[in-house]
Amino acid sequence: MAKRSTVIAAGAAAVLLAIIGAVAALNPSDSDGPGEAARVTVRLWDEPVAAAYEKSFAAFEKDNPDIQVDVEIVPWDDYFEKLRTDVAGDGAPDVFWVDGGSYPAYADAGALLNITTALPADAQADWSAAVTAQYTRNAVLWGVPQLADPGIAVYYNADLLGDAGLTPDDVSALTWDPAGQDDTLIAVLQKLTKDYNGNTADSADFDGSNLSQYGYNAGYDLQAMVLNYLASNGAQFQDASNQYAFASDAGIASFQYLIDLMNKWQVAPSAADTNSNGDFSREQFLQGKMALFQSGVYNLANVSAGANFDWGVVQLPSGPVGAISNVDGIAAAGNAASAHPAETQRVLEWLGSAAGSEFIGASGAASPAVLAAQPAYAEYWAAEKVDISPFYDVLAAGTAPAPRGAGWPAAENAMRPLLDEVFLGRTPAGQGVRAAQEAANATLTE
Amino acid sequence: MRSRGSLRRRSAITGYALLAPSLFGVVCFLLLPVLVVLWLSFQSWDLIGPISFVGLDNYRSVLSDGVFGNSLVVTLIFVLLVVPIQTLIGLGAATLLTRGLPGSAWFRTVYVLPWICAPLALGVVWKWILAPTDGALNTLLGHRVEWLSDPALALPAVAAVVIWTNVGYVTLFFMAGLLNIPGQILEAARIDGAGAVKVFWHIKLPLLRPTMFFVLVTTVISAFQVFDQVYALTQGGPARSTDVVAARIYYEAFDAFDLGRAAVMAVVLLVILVVITLAQQLYFRRRVTYEMD
Amino acid sequence: MKWTRFSATAAVYLVLLLGALFTLGPFLLSILTAFKTREQFAQQSALTWPDPFTLENFALLLNGPAQFGRAILITVLAAVLILVGQLICSILAAYAFARVDFPGRQVLFWVYLSTLMIPPVVLVVPLYLMMTEVGLRNSFWSLVLPFAFASPYAIFLLREYFRGIPQELIDAARLDGANTLDVLVEIVVPLSRPIIATLTLITIVSHWNSFMWPLVVTTGTEWRVVTVATASLQSQFNGNWTLVMAATTLALVPLLVLFLMFQRSFVRSITIAGSA
Repeated sequence: MAKRSTVIAAGAAAVLLAIIGAVAALNPSDSDGPGEAARVTVRLWDEPVAAAYEKSFAAFEKDNPDIQVDVEIVPWDDYFEKLRTDVAGDGAPDVFWVDGGSYPAYADAGALLNITTALPADAQADWSAAVTAQYTRNAVLWGVPQLADPGIAVYYNADLLGDAGLTPDDVSALTWDPAGQDDTLIAVLQKLTKDYNGNTADSADFDGSNLSQYGYNAGYDLQAMVLNYLASNGAQFQDASNQYAFASDAGIASFQYLIDLMNKWQVAPSAADTNSNGDFSREQFLQGKMALFQSGVYNLANVSAGANFDWGVVQLPSGPVGAISNVDGIAAAGNAASAHPAETQRVLEWLGSAAGSEFIGASGAASPAVLAAQPAYAEYWAAEKVDISPFYDVLAAGTAPAPRGAGWPAAENAMRPLLDEVFLGRTPAGQGVRAAQEAANATLTE
Repeated sequence: MRSRGSLRRRSAITGYALLAPSLFGVVCFLLLPVLVVLWLSFQSWDLIGPISFVGLDNYRSVLSDGVFGNSLVVTLIFVLLVVPIQTLIGLGAATLLTRGLPGSAWFRTVYVLPWICAPLALGVVWKWILAPTDGALNTLLGHRVEWLSDPALALPAVAAVVIWTNVGYVTLFFMAGLLNIPGQILEAARIDGAGAVKVFWHIKLPLLRPTMFFVLVTTVISAFQVFDQVYALTQGGPARSTDVVAARIYYEAFDAFDLGRAAVMAVVLLVILVVITLAQQLYFRRRVTYEMD
Repeated sequence: MKWTRFSATAAVYLVLLLGALFTLGPFLLSILTAFKTREQFAQQSALTWPDPFTLENFALLLNGPAQFGRAILITVLAAVLILVGQLICSILAAYAFARVDFPGRQVLFWVYLSTLMIPPVVLVVPLYLMMTEVGLRNSFWSLVLPFAFASPYAIFLLREYFRGIPQELIDAARLDGANTLDVLVEIVVPLSRPIIATLTLITIVSHWNSFMWPLVVTTGTEWRVVTVATASLQSQFNGNWTLVMAATTLALVPLLVLFLMFQRSFVRSITIAGSA
């Protein structure tokens, strides 16, 4: 019998070999050949800063020919999901960005390099104290401070202000008051909001269900909105033991105020738009459809590049206890399981040095946490003729911390849908916010 | 002549040798994972920390906090929306396509196109079509509707996309069922003076019962596991209104990093689907014997 | 009488055409949008023809950091490898269940059958844990291994088919001195071409389309398959619909072409595979 089986077996084997060969060819070679440079991978989510890093590492590689640094961008939406599975599967990069809510779980699991002992003390002297404190847990620093966002402020569209007969000065010292007496914010926002027939929100014919121009970006945005509205009304997000405490009377009043801006006064996009798309308000502002856009310096580069109208920055509205902003920092953590511990430490040291961080500030990409690199950031924006002082001036009145503690991802996952309902106006603020706090705290005790 | 015993042994060796590779696959990638998920449902694990035994804590937390209860309810509503509607449309389309009109084969091919395509990619296409401000549907309507961000509309919208995907598949089976009905029966009914409607209700529909049963069972089971379209369209939102069980398992494991809770949910889903399958098997058996009497 | 029949037929065609339009609409919109510039998309209605006609979206996908070309290659390689593995293992097992007498055959067949009740969603978490433990997470093999050995479903279909092959053919070959493998390759497989074609189409389609497992087990662009690349593109370029529609077009069109080429056997395959 002609051995068809042999032919088929040979065919199958050939297919198999061809595929294995192709896969081997596709396999990115991460082994460092003899004499070649060791590869250190740095992962982050921010594209402007990644561009600054590329320049920074080009300078670093010149002085350190034995190290090659690869910059890897993972989009913010997937960042922490992917990071967790990568760390779990021994596939994490050597250096990766973390934020205040995410690093404790990694630190507790032993996945991060102890920066306090890994880097020489004099290399750690010149870092923002606030960011250093944010990334210190059990008396150990778990990341090299990279970005020190100052406060939140309000971007304004000067053309839209002009149309409403307002000047930037008219919106630079707004106040909000849940009790109503000392409120100047709502009246201004009503002038700045228009429906499709061109009626402003303070006119009798105003149809709030169909807006063509928004006054403001009230909505569920923890960093730009919620934390500041809580703090400016004397409410806490978390208490000293990291329990969630935002459902106090003052806290609920803050939520109610934000919700009323959307649903009662109708001067902000509906939660249906902003709940599911975190970039909705920024897009509207950049398209010239939103007059006031409250945000941080993390949007400075985006606004500067994307806005084709006159714009500027003013201080955020002050509440019953003043204008209090949250502050947040970002750190670069070292992978404790890195295949190149020595090289990783040298890269981290570079990132924490004035020379290494200079590039972040000098490109205007973000506000560096290395103090000596900060003047370059101010100079960049001064040269661009943008006054960024409102982001900094607000810090004098005291600040509110960003979310902290090991359980943040689970807590946010638990409370977020409940708060979505509150912002949509489907549950009363008091009931919904209390339920959200309870759900968040339940994840801590598990 | 070899003894019977040695022949039997030879045949046993051959049998197991032929079975070995697939048995490896079945044991390692189907049976073992079921044991692992059962084991994991009694553990606490956040992917990076140590795995520790917590007894029934995960079960208590999953069954008490309402999140999983919401997912079960959402999934049930989803199944009740999708299955009857797509069955009716599929039945209607099959009736029209089995009238012997020219071009029927072409329409059949067109209708089944969505079913062979990646549900994820089609979900992304629909995400744009249904987008509130620059979406194709609202542009056509000239009117802004929050298809995917209004909690009251999101689940029906996702269901509509899934129905759109499945209708062609259901149609194929009803077409096969209708074409299997012997022509003489229909002819006899017509000679007796039965109109088209009567023929459909009293002859075609009863004869389609096995097909109907098969279609209902398979589509119920697959609707219970919907994930890709939900991931593409709503990610379980707004306000958990589309948080079907499969999506909840995924987000619980890879977004909230609570693998123990995800395992509990997987175990519950497994039990539900096994019960549905066994129940339909029993029912089907009975039905068949009854009909043969 | 004639007129009513004519108008009834016209009504049927009208309904069928509307159905076809509704079915094809999203595909056409996706493909049209993929060839448009961002400017045209922002300014004109979704229903306009691409003007100017641009390939830039595709160029950006294939040459840019999204590495779509690589994703397509990986998807194809994985699907082919799964197909080859599944066919070989399933044919061997199905033959054993259909034609070889060995102790435990009945029990094992029931075990195989019962695994059909396990929903794939349930397997994702434990398989992820297992792949991580053996160090295969985020590798090409993690995409392939769980599916390459057997599909109880394919075994079931093949066994039914094999049982219809006349035993005399097999006995005759045996008398000629053929061993089991020869019988399989010379007689059983050639006679089972239709069912093997069915399985081939179904396997390729389901693995080209599979999403949840690759999403969970891979990270980054290295081993990303087409569906995962499409999903991550849509979350990264939220609102850049011309680019996203180019991605969905790349994910959809290969299967559409395959489908139109093998239309007849596809339709038959779906009915066979479904009614098992």
